[in-house]
Amino acid sequence: MILRSLQIVVLVLGILSPASQSLRFELQSGHTKCISEDIKSNSMTVGKYHVVNPNEGHPLPDSHKLTVRVTSTYGNSFHSAEKVETGQFGFTAAEAGDYMACFWTPDHSPQITMTVDFDWRTGVHAKDWSNVAKKGQVDVMELELKKLYDTVTSIHEEMFYLREREEEMQELNQATTSKMFWLSFLSLFLCLSVAGMQFWHLKTFFEKKKLI
Amino acid sequence: MEKGWGKMWALMVLLLLNWVSNISSLSVTVNEVECVYEYVLYEGDTVSGNFVVVDHDIFWSSDHPGIDFTVTSPGGNTVHNLKGTSGDKFEFKAPRSGMYKFCFHNPYSTPETVSFYIHVGHIPTEHDLAKDEHLDPINVKIAELREALESVTAEQKYLKARDARHRHTNESTRKRVIGYTVVEYVLLALASALQVIYIRQLFSKSVAYNRV
Repeated sequence: MILRSLQIVVLVLGILSPASQSLRFELQSGHTKCISEDIKSNSMTVGKYHVVNPNEGHPLPDSHKLTVRVTSTYGNSFHSAEKVETGQFGFTAAEAGDYMACFWTPDHSPQITMTVDFDWRTGVHAKDWSNVAKKGQVDVMELELKKLYDTVTSIHEEMFYLREREEEMQELNQATTSKMFWLSFLSLFLCLSVAGMQFWHLKTFFEKKKLI
Repeated sequence: MEKGWGKMWALMVLLLLNWVSNISSLSVTVNEVECVYEYVLYEGDTVSGNFVVVDHDIFWSSDHPGIDFTVTSPGGNTVHNLKGTSGDKFEFKAPRSGMYKFCFHNPYSTPETVSFYIHVGHIPTEHDLAKDEHLDPINVKIAELREALESVTAEQKYLKARDARHRHTNESTRKRVIGYTVVEYVLLALASALQVIYIRQLFSKSVAYNRV
């Protein structure tokens, strides 16, 4: 899975979670660009990507092809596609962490820059609301309110997560401080013992040499 | 034969390091601009968002002076401009609809990671109500509610990214403190051993006894 491009220019922009935006970025031939997103475990995520056609109506030239890989933090690949112009993926995140979607184009002699349109939704925004509407035969208003309710629930969960992280950070700081405390005592002890050893060693040395 | 192996190892390590940096994080390319495009549907929409620079490797340098952030409207005017920040929130009213460009510029050679979030919010106005008979005045209220919830979500994203950066700093501090202390111990022991050896040498018979 090692990307063997000689000029691997890594750009990773972390998108801060349930964004439902269609993002566009430019990709130069021979370069790699990665977008990462922090996804919680057991949440749905859906992604769609396509190369933007600079000339409408004409087919895309052969050089405008993408290689895509979506991997988790631990290196498991959840989606991969070679030399495609468009595609999509969807999966339920088994592991929590940073998921990375990397795009790569093969090298081309006049360097071409192509625009890639990427839409990555996780969590609340990944839910297919049109299906929910059809199933329950709910009207538009109720659907909007359901969406709001889901958003509020996700905000609530996010607050819990932030609280947990803050607690972990506090514990980390506490542990660092106490470690520094004990280490300073240790350094004092070490200093004194090294001085003592020096003194004792030199004393026995001079006594052996009958200088004292 | 051995030279060939050495070179192969070096190349593999380089590739591996590149791969490792792919997985573990996130960097904006050296001395370059990274742009993201976002489409704004209606004129007058509020575009809000935030970005946080996650310091990559804190080795000898203390503070990175920050990156520059520029928002360009489809007409080419600079709508929003921030210089030398390590993370900030932004909000502006889109003067016209079209494709907006959000650019991050890294003036220095150390790669930096940026976590960002952009949201385009639309609230139906009187004009939209008049045009579309399906829209109720209550939809305006629902849209306002949705935008308020979005702002809470955006704030949470910002806090989460800052927490991640804070955590990164704390962990690096902890590692460095322990590392420096151990190095300090080793150097102390080494210095005292060298002292003892030197003094012993001064008294050794092979070096002229009368010198002392």
